Amino acid sequence: MALKALDIYKLLPKKNCKECGDPTCLTFAMKLAGGKADVDLCPYLDEQAKTILGATTRPPIKLVKIGVGERSFAVGEEFVLYRHEKTFYHPPGILFKIGDDQPVDAIIAVTKRVKSEAFTRVGSDLQFNGIAVENASGSAETFARAVEIIENVADLPLVLISPDQAALSAALVHCGTYRPLIHAATATNFKEMCSLAKQHGCPLVLKAHGLAELEQLVKKCTAEGAQDLVLDPAPVSLNDFIMSSTAIRQLAITRSSPELGYPVYLDTTGDGTEDAMIALGIVKYAAVMVTSPLNQASAKASLTLRQNIYTDPQKPIQMNPGLYRVGNPDKNAPVLMTVNFSLTFFTLQGYLESSHIPCFMLIVDTEGLSVLTAVAAGKLSESLVRDAIKKFGVETEVGHRSLIIPGYASPLSGRIEEATGWKVLVGPRDAAEIGDFLHEEWEKRKERS
Amino acid sequence: MGLDVHFDWTGSIGEVVLGATKSDGGSRKISYRIGGGTTLPFLDADSPAPSPLIAFEVCDNPQFWSPIVRKYCGDITNNTPEWVHAAEASYGADLIRLYLTSTRQRNFTDVSSVGKTVEEVLSATDLPLIIEGSNEPKIDSDVFQKCGETGQGEKLLLGTAEASRYRSIAAAALAYDHSIIAQSPIDVNLAKQLNILLREIGIQRDHIVIDPYTGSLGYGFEYSYSAMERIRFSALKGDVDLAMPMICSAIDTLTVKEVRESELQIQDEIAVRWEFYTGFAAAVAGAEIICVRHPATIMMLRKAFGSLKSQDRTRMVM
Repeated sequence: MALKALDIYKLLPKKNCKECGDPTCLTFAMKLAGGKADVDLCPYLDEQAKTILGATTRPPIKLVKIGVGERSFAVGEEFVLYRHEKTFYHPPGILFKIGDDQPVDAIIAVTKRVKSEAFTRVGSDLQFNGIAVENASGSAETFARAVEIIENVADLPLVLISPDQAALSAALVHCGTYRPLIHAATATNFKEMCSLAKQHGCPLVLKAHGLAELEQLVKKCTAEGAQDLVLDPAPVSLNDFIMSSTAIRQLAITRSSPELGYPVYLDTTGDGTEDAMIALGIVKYAAVMVTSPLNQASAKASLTLRQNIYTDPQKPIQMNPGLYRVGNPDKNAPVLMTVNFSLTFFTLQGYLESSHIPCFMLIVDTEGLSVLTAVAAGKLSESLVRDAIKKFGVETEVGHRSLIIPGYASPLSGRIEEATGWKVLVGPRDAAEIGDFLHEEWEKRKERS
Repeated sequence: MGLDVHFDWTGSIGEVVLGATKSDGGSRKISYRIGGGTTLPFLDADSPAPSPLIAFEVCDNPQFWSPIVRKYCGDITNNTPEWVHAAEASYGADLIRLYLTSTRQRNFTDVSSVGKTVEEVLSATDLPLIIEGSNEPKIDSDVFQKCGETGQGEKLLLGTAEASRYRSIAAAALAYDHSIIAQSPIDVNLAKQLNILLREIGIQRDHIVIDPYTGSLGYGFEYSYSAMERIRFSALKGDVDLAMPMICSAIDTLTVKEVRESELQIQDEIAVRWEFYTGFAAAVAGAEIICVRHPATIMMLRKAFGSLKSQDRTRMVM
């Protein structure tokens, strides 16, 4: 079980020498307890203390690196069951599976796609992570050739899927130095698989259905000297996966079963609910996911969900305050003020774009709070609006002096008018109605004047 | 030591009944009891909960409804009863959520038409009904009163109460024994606060469904997902003011950029995926009513829930 900081402190030399980088032994102990420091940083620990601490202070889920170079990724080192307790750190790698019996062109096409395809969202490029080659042909030679073809196209992380040691050996000739993930060691072949993994320094998937069986297999493989392990609980249904992956995560982070302290593998192909398997894997602790080459719709949705779930939930995503253009607004275009909570921004922007009325969005700094919360917390004030109008030069951008404010900010309308000298129009509370509002209120108003 | 999850939950999710059959004084062919969970969603191997319900959303004035849905469903979107019938008979929904968008026109006053619409919808389907009333405080009272009265005995779910605006809807729910949706902006504390306000004016806990507000995938879902997890977690830890079932309705899904601006050939596919990923992940976080607007999302969710639901473990053959 996990040691508390004070228990750890008792084992430390209590010299406060600072050589570990921490000011005192107690602060170092607190870091160790949180899994945030390495025991080896302390030069004065005796061997016995090291052994005790080593087992309980390493991160509860081992970090495993797959691939080399720019596209390599690391998984594991997670600490919580719920992202709101802290955050999830290492997004699952998603790799497209292809059989070695596929035509060369198809293998090349999938590899090229994973190499170059990227969706840009909120300033990040979202990409799939690599290729999983399956030894569907059963032939070692065909398997090795498929891997060679892929390696000639791109340096992507690979998963090598075969029950056959000879096929894996042949494939590893082409990619053995690039840390591919080997799938999989089972109760019957683990000795050979461990020796392959050790020989090439590759991470290894252990596959067993049932956590007791998985735990046994981990014991056997670590005894064989395999270190970088990934666990495949071989789920037979979505329910089977959520049960086993939740149990693995909980037993690992509470250190109830150190053997289960490794990242989880999930093959989402097969049972006809692939999108569901992918979504479930993303929210429920999968670390390496092997999928079929997804169509555009599933590809975008899954990468977006992964981005959402691996965003720190404590941090409101903020937009930079400023004046944003929708379309090509001219001097008569409406100006809509709102807050810099990114969700508010993107929602409003979407509806404005579909209204086809060019306009300006004046984004003020409410520290990422939504309109409702900002009004309630007093973060949205008339002076903030006044200063933003000046700072972002709104008066030179438009000829009129009318400002549309969110419906929820209506209590501030009088004060904003006084502070800015602008006429305030209270818009709808629901962004979905903004197009209607602009057509009705703004366009008609323009006609009247 | 058993290799299984272990939680020391002290609370459970309260139950809410939706819809009334003839024997209960209504006219629905089925009624649902949602809630009752005693652990995290889908980890209830010992006493498997039923699958989450899938609600199909329709409206009585499709002018501002997603063009993707209007195109897919065709002309029946202009005939609310026919559309509702299709939702039950062809699309396979568990329940219907009717948005009275007609009341959102400017200067709307014709409250009697609301009663007529609700009546027609009740006769067009045998499924339990969720009704979304007006969006305008001035007519709230009349609209909700009319909905409540017309649906008397049917155990409707009325929406949507917010902290700044809940009295009219609560009055209608109390007078005619309906339940209500309580919406708060993605925050566990605000959700709790609203439930307390509702309790103080007499709404029983077993008449409240929490709507923590669902931002659509890529546009706020990262917050909604955790808000739902936290609500479920607090409920299981014993907070009775959060121990109500949740509803997920990502109403902006079909208008986000990725869907709205996608190539036409794959627009339905991407609309369905966007709804599916959002609704499915929300169910995993604890939502028990998943609302969708694209008919094709319904079967996809249903199939997934079939595999996600806890099975009787003794029947699982390895």
